Amino acid sequence: MKITAFSWIIITLAITAWVFILPVKAVATILVLQLVLLLYVKHNRMMLAAIGGLGVFTGMMVLLQMLFGSSLTVSLIGGLRMLVMTMAFLCMLSTTKIQDIAKTLVDRFHLPVEYAFMLTTALRFVPNFLEDSSVTLDAQSCRGYSNRSNALQHLLSYVVVIRPLVMRAVAKSETLALSMELKGFGANTYKNMPREPFTLWDLLALLVVVVLSSYPFWAKFFK
Amino acid sequence: MLEAKNINFSYRRGIPVLQDINCKINDGEFVALLGHNGSGKTTLTRLFMALDHPRSGQILVDGNDIVKMEPADLADKIGYVFQNPDLQILADTVFEEVAYGPRVKKLTEDSVKKQVDDALEAMELTDLAQSYPRLLSFGQKRRLGVASALALGPKTLILDEITNGQDQAEKAKMMEYLQALNEKHGVTIVLITHDMDVVRRYARRALVLTDGKQVFDGTPKDLFEGSYPVENWGLRRPLASVLAAAFQVSASNCHEFCATVAKEAK
Amino acid sequence: MASVINFKDFYYAYINEKLVLRDINLTVEKGSFTVVIGPSGAGKTTLCKAITGIIPYYMGGSYAGDVEVLGESTKGKRVSDLSLKVGLMLEDYESQLVSLTAGEEVAFSLLNHGFPAEEVKERTSKALEDVGLPGREDYQLDELSGGQRQRLLLASVLAVHPEIIVLDEPVSAMDPDGAESLYKLLSKIHQEYGTTFVVVEHRVEFVLPYATNFIAVKDGQIAAAGTCEVVADQVYADPELRVLLPELWQVRGELAAKTGAHFSLWRKPADAVDELKAQGFEGGVQAHA
Repeated sequence: MKITAFSWIIITLAITAWVFILPVKAVATILVLQLVLLLYVKHNRMMLAAIGGLGVFTGMMVLLQMLFGSSLTVSLIGGLRMLVMTMAFLCMLSTTKIQDIAKTLVDRFHLPVEYAFMLTTALRFVPNFLEDSSVTLDAQSCRGYSNRSNALQHLLSYVVVIRPLVMRAVAKSETLALSMELKGFGANTYKNMPREPFTLWDLLALLVVVVLSSYPFWAKFFK
Repeated sequence: MLEAKNINFSYRRGIPVLQDINCKINDGEFVALLGHNGSGKTTLTRLFMALDHPRSGQILVDGNDIVKMEPADLADKIGYVFQNPDLQILADTVFEEVAYGPRVKKLTEDSVKKQVDDALEAMELTDLAQSYPRLLSFGQKRRLGVASALALGPKTLILDEITNGQDQAEKAKMMEYLQALNEKHGVTIVLITHDMDVVRRYARRALVLTDGKQVFDGTPKDLFEGSYPVENWGLRRPLASVLAAAFQVSASNCHEFCATVAKEAK
Repeated sequence: MASVINFKDFYYAYINEKLVLRDINLTVEKGSFTVVIGPSGAGKTTLCKAITGIIPYYMGGSYAGDVEVLGESTKGKRVSDLSLKVGLMLEDYESQLVSLTAGEEVAFSLLNHGFPAEEVKERTSKALEDVGLPGREDYQLDELSGGQRQRLLLASVLAVHPEIIVLDEPVSAMDPDGAESLYKLLSKIHQEYGTTFVVVEHRVEFVLPYATNFIAVKDGQIAAAGTCEVVADQVYADPELRVLLPELWQVRGELAAKTGAHFSLWRKPADAVDELKAQGFEGGVQAHA
């Protein structure tokens, strides 16, 4: 049951509209479906951490809204909407190859190739940078920087990491740029990549999108 | 003095990285820690530095259990030099870089200057004190890493793959610095390396780990000139040792070998 | 034998820097396994970049003279076109990997150069097989170990069927097992495809069994170049350059000088032991005046 990146992008964009036009129960149902999908695709620690992270972030937003005077119900609904929107992106990233997403953005949405490639590059190097940053933090500790202090100091310790990391990123990006040049990266890169076959599932998905997006129009008939 | 007692360690549930490690490194020793990639040698040194804590067993530094300590507590006892010099550079001049430790520990400005000057002198970086660290050559950056670790005057230095990527001359220089620190200032040297020549020439003790277990603890001479299965342990005999063992002489480097071997004059 | 790389009176300086390469006149023969040795900073990496056209054309800088690869000057050529003939693996191979899966990585260059999809699939599969990663097209990059990633880069280089492959210190951070197995792989490719190899190496003991030619670089100039036999004797004769030689050959030179004996070219320690014993050498014997 494979849906092309194009369909996924449409669905994800549509969801951002649906959270506002569909009734709350429907939005909650979407959330459940998203969770089921994510855990079916990959139920490892990283996935749980990602979902958990989004959950925590949403919780903070809800609290913030309440702080600014909104009632509990309103804040919760707002939080639900935001959660569903962000989970939509997570679903798309978990089920689709980045290369396919990038190709769709270039072919159908006319994104310049360099920007599209940034998606791949970001995902490619983030783990490397996380690893590098942990070495720098360790080096700091080994030179006497204590981690015991309060949370603020803890945060400050991460600041020192930024410089070496950025320098390293720049050096690595030079090598990467050279490598891409050697491999012939250019305007044709995404054109030549294999195109995903458009299947019945895609038609079905797009149909669902059309139906749900036009909810305001046909909902009246069911009231 | 570093001691590991009945150490068992794994990063995640399941894969044991260190099993039943028991070893003691006394003051003033020059120890080489050897083993194939993933054998646990870096992990063991990280435990000594409190970067990680063992699941079972004890790590003692100068007789004290470090279970509640963090690396900052040990910074003035153990200097840890990481493999990649670029990732350890935190300041804008060589002087400030080496001064990082003393400043964090809030030493007086005079103390800081003295510590830094001593460290720079030991690694022959005094002339470069005002240089921008990132513009130094790779070999100089490595020396800077060692100088930074020396700044708080630790009695032990742990160095992770310090001779990687360097040519013969740079390697020899680095090892001479370490030798001087060890012999003249009594600094304990723990060297993680897979450069067997360096081990045979400079180290006085070799600890070999394989798949997290200790398989050898003795002199480099015995290790390389004896009949141990060094290849199975992911090591190679240095040339001098292969030749020395074949001709039944003792040689810690090739020149020594050439001097003790000749054609029997007929 | 035909020469595949030709440096003619080549000089080069990076932008705003001093000369890094001076008066380079050099030939690399087709099918050779050439090892480049020399102290740090001598210009070996720059030499690698010159072979692939990266300098002076991609990186800029000032130059004189010419570099010819496979009979054509690198001048005016796009580095991506040259890369179809000369593959390059730098020391920081990690940063040369551009994609997220193994298959995508190997296919990348092929797709960019317009190879048809069927051929891309075939070449990708063969290349991955050649480097010992068969069937791993869908493996994510973080599912591969460091050594495997290096092999992946090698596969992406092999897929375009280059005539020359240049490697800059491929085993600098590896343990002995890893270093040995990489060179075994390179040798296999050398034998099977007849590819010309140019390898910069400090840890020469690992490449010694396979090398056919040596180039010694010092202070931006070629100090010696030629077949192993020629270089072993020539470089030993110069006390300053002697230290650039593999240790095995330094021993060979020293014993030959001391006793006047002649030795064949040793490739590994066992060779030395066998020949020394055969020639009647013994241990613990003091050299007579």
